[in-house]
Amino acid sequence: MNSKYRMIWNLMAGQRLTYGLAIAALVLGSCFMYLVPMVPQIIMDGVLSSEPEKASDFVGRAVELTGGREFLKGHLWIPAIWILSLTAISGILTYLRSRFAAMASEEITRKLRDRLYDQLQHLPCSYHDKVETGDQVQRCTSDVETFRRFLAHQTVEIGRALIMMVVPLPLMVALDVRMTIVSVVTIPPIVVFSFLFFRKVQASFKLVDEAEGRMTSRLQENLSGIRVVRAFARQDYEQEKFGERNRTHRDLDYRLYKLFAWYWSISDFLCMGQKALVVGAGGYFLAMGQLQVGTFFFFLAVVNMFIWPIRMMGRILSELGKALVAIGRIGEILDHPRESKPPISQRQILPMDSHVGSEIVFESVSFSHDGSGQVLTDISFRAAPGQTVALLGPSGSGKSTIVNLLLRFYNPNKGFITIDGVDIGKAKRKDVRSRIAVVMQEPFLFSKTVGENIKLGRTEADESEIAHAATTACVHDAILEFDDGYETVVGERGVTLSGGQRQRVALARALLEDPRILILDDAMSSVDTETETMILDALSHKLGQHTTLVIAHRLSTLMHADKIVVIEHGRIVQQGAHETLVTQEGLYRRLWRIQSMVEDDVAEFKAVAGDAA
Amino acid sequence: MDEQELQQEESQRRLDIGLWRRILVYARPYRWSLICLGITGFVFAWIDAVLPRITGLIIDEATTNGLGPGLVKQSLYYLGLVTLMAFLIWLFIVKAGRAATGFAFDIRRAAFSRLQELSFSFYDQRPVGWLMARLTSDCERVSSIIPWFLLDLVWGSTLIVGISIMMLHLNKHLGLLVMLILPPLAVVSVFFQRKLLGSQRAVRKTNSEITASFNEAIMGVRTTKTLVRERENLEEFEVRSTAMYGHSVRNALQAAVYLPIVITLGSIGVGLALWRGGLQIGGEMSFGTMIAFMQYAAFFYIPVQELAERFTQLQAAQASAERLQGLIDTEPDIKDSPEVIENMEQEIKLGRFEEKIHSVEFEKVSFHYKEGEPVLVDFDLRVGAGETIALVGPTGGGKSTIVSLLCRFYEPTSGSIKINGIDYRQRGLLWLQSKLGIVLQSPHLFSGSIRDNIRYGSLEASDKDVIEAAKVVNAHEFISAQENGYETDVGEGGTRLSTGQKQLISLARAVLSDPEIFIMDEATSSVDTETERLIQEGIKTVLQGRISFIIAHRLSTVRSADRIMVIEQGRIVEQGNHEELIRLQGRYHYLYTGQFARERQEGILQEVASE
Repeated sequence: MNSKYRMIWNLMAGQRLTYGLAIAALVLGSCFMYLVPMVPQIIMDGVLSSEPEKASDFVGRAVELTGGREFLKGHLWIPAIWILSLTAISGILTYLRSRFAAMASEEITRKLRDRLYDQLQHLPCSYHDKVETGDQVQRCTSDVETFRRFLAHQTVEIGRALIMMVVPLPLMVALDVRMTIVSVVTIPPIVVFSFLFFRKVQASFKLVDEAEGRMTSRLQENLSGIRVVRAFARQDYEQEKFGERNRTHRDLDYRLYKLFAWYWSISDFLCMGQKALVVGAGGYFLAMGQLQVGTFFFFLAVVNMFIWPIRMMGRILSELGKALVAIGRIGEILDHPRESKPPISQRQILPMDSHVGSEIVFESVSFSHDGSGQVLTDISFRAAPGQTVALLGPSGSGKSTIVNLLLRFYNPNKGFITIDGVDIGKAKRKDVRSRIAVVMQEPFLFSKTVGENIKLGRTEADESEIAHAATTACVHDAILEFDDGYETVVGERGVTLSGGQRQRVALARALLEDPRILILDDAMSSVDTETETMILDALSHKLGQHTTLVIAHRLSTLMHADKIVVIEHGRIVQQGAHETLVTQEGLYRRLWRIQSMVEDDVAEFKAVAGDAA
Repeated sequence: MDEQELQQEESQRRLDIGLWRRILVYARPYRWSLICLGITGFVFAWIDAVLPRITGLIIDEATTNGLGPGLVKQSLYYLGLVTLMAFLIWLFIVKAGRAATGFAFDIRRAAFSRLQELSFSFYDQRPVGWLMARLTSDCERVSSIIPWFLLDLVWGSTLIVGISIMMLHLNKHLGLLVMLILPPLAVVSVFFQRKLLGSQRAVRKTNSEITASFNEAIMGVRTTKTLVRERENLEEFEVRSTAMYGHSVRNALQAAVYLPIVITLGSIGVGLALWRGGLQIGGEMSFGTMIAFMQYAAFFYIPVQELAERFTQLQAAQASAERLQGLIDTEPDIKDSPEVIENMEQEIKLGRFEEKIHSVEFEKVSFHYKEGEPVLVDFDLRVGAGETIALVGPTGGGKSTIVSLLCRFYEPTSGSIKINGIDYRQRGLLWLQSKLGIVLQSPHLFSGSIRDNIRYGSLEASDKDVIEAAKVVNAHEFISAQENGYETDVGEGGTRLSTGQKQLISLARAVLSDPEIFIMDEATSSVDTETERLIQEGIKTVLQGRISFIIAHRLSTVRSADRIMVIEQGRIVEQGNHEELIRLQGRYHYLYTGQFARERQEGILQEVASE
């Protein structure tokens, strides 16, 4: 618990002064606010009253100070101006209070958002593997919003309610002790009642939320499965199902309204009852001649000013718990360690960028996720500068893990990997990654224009370079067919690209980076065979400029590689060029056989068919 | 809220009375609640207007007559009115709740049932998220504004009139003077409420951008890392978070400046009451009356502010109301014609509803989704009883469209589709669609148990029938291996199962429905080759005696069809059985040789993986 408060305190760094100013404006502002009803009180009791001698010393002195009874009686517009000016001053202070509070809280929130964003980008992949996107987004949005409300409204409102209550107390006591007691008597029950109510009503809120969740998920299922609904002509059934949940939601929601009807009517009764008490008691004391009219007015006005903020207090207090929960959830993201950096003493620098491909060496690399089940065992292979190395094996055999290790998404448990002779575990991650470009099977495109997506890796690229990369990736023509060409926005807010188009855009992005190492991780699985051949052809013209690592299921994609590494169950079972591998007994040859077999098969079939004809 | 929505909202400036009147039709069942609300608002406003007067009377009684029956009477009045107010608060919240929740329920039901009728061309243009927002946030907004708007409209205007009457009654001259603050109050309130509406929109819009940014940052974290774009991304994000800061502060400042201004305006009234009233003290004016005046002046701004706020809220909700009304008013472009509906009873009587399908004909069918981009042109096809038709060819060639037309998910733009020799537009939609069994590539399951999902094909089926259907498609084995067997919960959208498993379940579902036309659109693309073979065997018996259409990438699935059609660019380029087409050495031959090799290779890889 303590750490949460410390975290809030730390987040407020840089804005504490602004907050202090807000509090100062708050205190001053409410002082002025209470001075306003003092004016009519003084005038009524000290000037207008037929028995001014009954007024308190304070009133008498105030009247003397401001010109005396007769003068004021003749110049009643002067107190009117006081009322106006005091209200205006308190208004300005109220404005300043809101302004400082808003600036401080919004600035803190802005910094918090930036920090969260930055943190998420630097958290290791092992973290992102474990968490759910929806949950993380919720922490960064609704939890941050809860925290913002806490800073901007709840703390301010609690402070306001307390100050509004405390500031007039000395004045009130000085004027009339009995009336003071009468004026505050319902405060404890109001606060306690609303605090308890809101604590209790959370459960009902949750019920309504859940009912709404069930209703919307039914709706979503219906809409996204509308084809199934129609295919089985189940419209009536669906309406009945949705209707049920719609009804439950309505009933629970209505129940919540009824609960609130009780809450508001009781708490307002208490608040208005407080006023009624003041009126009744004031009337009694007035009749007994123990109270002056002006003082009576003052108490009436003061009660009306502090009773409403007090009424909100119970609610806010009951919601403070939520802010602490939100802070805790945000803290879990911020406190998680980022991707590690090698200590400076051991750091190695990758050699200067050249325009030939890098050498990659895997040396007895083994890997398992958190010790559960070995993914890779004793992987050793070398890709010479400019070579193309293909990884072949069934899905789940560990091919993609090899790529992930090379990108330093994870660290090997045993062995090491070098790029141009430097152990990548000792180099800066950014240096390693900036030499590598990757195209994945399901590439991620940002919701920007196609052009912007392609030049993500090299922002300074000009249009002709972009078009060239797109042409090499065989996607240029497809892009030009979009309504806005390269300016077309992709993703949720724009056009949806087909799997093959996404893969080719990602390829263009990778090519534009002009990397020393190009990784194609099943990158053309959704591209048809003819286009793939064209792309491979175009790539072969860039021979030597980068070292290529290819993962694919199609033999046609792999067979022209300089080296083919065959992996089964996380181990290398064969490696060599196509010519070598076809002569060895093993997986590669079995696959290769089929290729030729089908051709034979068809030829044979044709012969038979020919005979029959 | 997406961009388009915000733009739409922005374009709504004037209050559209006609639109709200149409929306109010849905409030008809709750008219008594609404009338009750109106009366409550009226009474409540009068109590608000009378209480300061009673306070004044109490003061005057106390100062002139002392502790007498007059004072007691007035105090009891005060207490009684306060109690009545508490009761009225209870009443109007209950009534508003009744109207709001009931109205939301009704309009949601109407929109949902309209969605069940709308054709796929409607769905094609609108993402699911967009439609969901209509039935959730729009519905919420419209239904909650109506009762509160009504209440505050009555309450606010009555209170303004009430206070004015009370003041004029007490002292005409001073009353008129204090009422002078009313026009500037109204102008300032309307001005600031408008401003606030604008800055709130900006906050909401930026907020949704920020949510999208976080989503993207997390989903694309690996891409960001490989592109080493952490810094650039953060810079782009900072632009958004700074914009958010700007909009939020602007919104807060507008709110912060508004209230002091109206309160200060009110204090002018208080000052006037003290000044002009004070002059008459001892004469026409009593202390009680003066105090009442000061209270009136001090809270004159509240009803004005409330009214201005509700009107802007109504305006803000107008876009939502319009979209909801638009959705409910949309006519489905595929529906039973009036004649068909008229003949329905006749048909059922004659038993034609039970009529079996024995032939399907496409006659010169043309179709396009978008004007100028034809998908099918003069397409002809005749399918007889029991035939199995396979459709092969490249993506986008029109295979799925043929099937969608057959299911009457779309209708031909020209030409006709005849079932049993009669244009299907002359028969009921339900008649045709209840005879179809369709399995799609991306199998959609509903949350619930596996058993419920299979039973979706035939709601009356017994547990035994369900298991039987699962056995036919070879799904029984994997289902039994699940923790809870057939009772296993599939998760939302079936997320707890693999795509292959989902395909098997949706196959079983179609089998259970015992359709007369069986359609498989890439239905087994995600199951492994071995399972696929098993399915084929099981399905063979199912296909017997039914018309069936199979679309498949895997040519091994297609081989045994009675007729194979190669569809390219909306036309049949080759047709015949497997042997005939291979002999032709054309497109089918080309596809087959390339594809078959790949399939076999994948099969071997899978074998190795499972060793």
